[in-house]
Amino acid sequence: MKIKRILPWGILILLVVLILHPQQEVVISIKEGMPAIPLALPDFIVRSSLPETITVAQELHQIISDDLKYSRVFQLLPKSYYSYIRPLNPEEIFFKDWESIQANILFVGELPESEGKKFLFEGKIYDVKAGRFIFGKRYQSEKTLIRLVAHKMADEIMKIYGEREIFTSKIVFTSNRDGNDELYMMDYDGHNQTRLTFNKKQDYMPAWSADGKKIAYTSYRNNMAGLYILDPFEGEITEVISKGTSFAPAFSPDGKKLAFCSTLEMGNPEIYVATSEGKNIKRLTFNKAIDTAPSWSPTSREIAFTSDRGGTPQIYIMDAEGSNVRRISFGGSYHDAPAWSPAGDRVAYVSRVDQIFDIYVLNLRTEQVIKLTESNARNETPSWSPDGRHLVFSSNLTGKIQLYAIDYDGSNLRRLTSEGESKLPDWSR
Amino acid sequence: MKKVIIFSVAFLMVFAALYSCRGRERVEEVTPPPPPPPEVEEQPEVEEVEEVEEPVVVEEPEPTEEEIFMSKTLEEINLEAPLQMIHFDFDRYFIRDDAKPVLEANAEWLKKYDSVVILIEGHCDERGTEEYNLALGEKRAKSTLDYLSSLGISADRIRTISYGKSMPLDPGHNEIAWQKNRRAKFLMIKK
Repeated sequence: MKIKRILPWGILILLVVLILHPQQEVVISIKEGMPAIPLALPDFIVRSSLPETITVAQELHQIISDDLKYSRVFQLLPKSYYSYIRPLNPEEIFFKDWESIQANILFVGELPESEGKKFLFEGKIYDVKAGRFIFGKRYQSEKTLIRLVAHKMADEIMKIYGEREIFTSKIVFTSNRDGNDELYMMDYDGHNQTRLTFNKKQDYMPAWSADGKKIAYTSYRNNMAGLYILDPFEGEITEVISKGTSFAPAFSPDGKKLAFCSTLEMGNPEIYVATSEGKNIKRLTFNKAIDTAPSWSPTSREIAFTSDRGGTPQIYIMDAEGSNVRRISFGGSYHDAPAWSPAGDRVAYVSRVDQIFDIYVLNLRTEQVIKLTESNARNETPSWSPDGRHLVFSSNLTGKIQLYAIDYDGSNLRRLTSEGESKLPDWSR
Repeated sequence: MKKVIIFSVAFLMVFAALYSCRGRERVEEVTPPPPPPPEVEEQPEVEEVEEVEEPVVVEEPEPTEEEIFMSKTLEEINLEAPLQMIHFDFDRYFIRDDAKPVLEANAEWLKKYDSVVILIEGHCDERGTEEYNLALGEKRAKSTLDYLSSLGISADRIRTISYGKSMPLDPGHNEIAWQKNRRAKFLMIKK
């Protein structure tokens, strides 16, 4: 009788506690940093007599426009605004006109007369308010390299505003599109997907070196999952470890070290660190649990990693020497694949809830957690863009595992791959 | 009297001789003289009778199991899969009770063919993340190695590797497929 009377109250109190209890996950959308800078990008002026130069100019304009829109730094003025003012004359720019349509920056592109089959492209940036020329750059290239020229130009604009180059960055990943898992790389926007390794064995889990010249990865050959370093431009492959299972490589941002997970001793997955050439291997973790998935802080002084030493896989941080271990992920039973942001203030990781994997971002300063992806899928292996405004990850959103990019605030989801299955992306710095 | 007998015999002989001469003259024989009979050597007497039989070739003995085993390639043996795979619980790497008899049988086999070196592959289902799964697969292979080791199989004969979730046995996305995929598989790499 007594229990029956107490029970409804108990449930009510429990509900109130559950509602009032602060949740670990705070799903908020934030618009960070400075408001986007208004930039005018009028059509490029063609001076070359070659008839195909007009299409080259249009393509260059389109790519630079896409890049700058993606940047989240610049905001392109609507094309219709240009009809309100006098047409652009590069010899005599009426800055007041451009100011009147609220442009802060004016980009003037020209394709001058060129010799032979190569095209010339010249870009100039003007500060509209100050009415002065800031920066200019001239490129000469084959028509097949239009995308590269446009990305280089867009990167120059980013650099002037103190931003990291992103448009010439590359994403390396694993795909089975040609039969078995091999390494591929592509531009940040998914173009130029190029195969890097050629064998019948599985090549897996690649990671860029700090200078973007080498790729560490795991290759299954001779019944071992050894660690190798590939120079994708020379085609050279160097063996680092061919013992036990070694995987999840991560080069330190200072370019000096290579951390990885290996079962080198005793068959237990531990984190090791070596020189960037893979020499002088030292063990960092010592316990019976799994320690894996190292990710360096931008200072190269700390390493975030996954460990199940507490019973379930969680994210921890340790000093680069292996000391001072502390847990940073809470409120879930399965966390993995930490990715430390280039600015150092955040760690992205995967959290598994009811067989769904989503990507979360933990702000180390405020300890706030943002849920970045929201889908009934397995979103995995996040990797930051060099400027920290975007992330690439893999997802089986459409059934097959493909690569997607998303902005730091969860907006602008875009699919990058479609052939076969693609996974394990790593964005170059 | 004696003389009479001798003369009569002599007369008879002469008569007989004359008669025979006359007969030969009548039947002319043209046959050549018969050849002299061949000289016959004295043959030794055969005392024993030998029984003739075809010599029996020694038949190939039935090959032993070991010999059959050694005659096969590693690929053929691995196709037959004499070592049964074992399965694991979700997110776990301990040896389940139902896996123990399987490993005991595998250990017996390994004791019989004591030159064999095996590779234990640890596999996971798709419900774990890539990075953690590779480590989990390695743990599964390692706990399998440890159990075989406890049954008296030298750890020197065992290598381990992890494929994480990259090589599912069943590509399905359901509990049956996941259970199949959480496994430790045995591969002979040397005999």
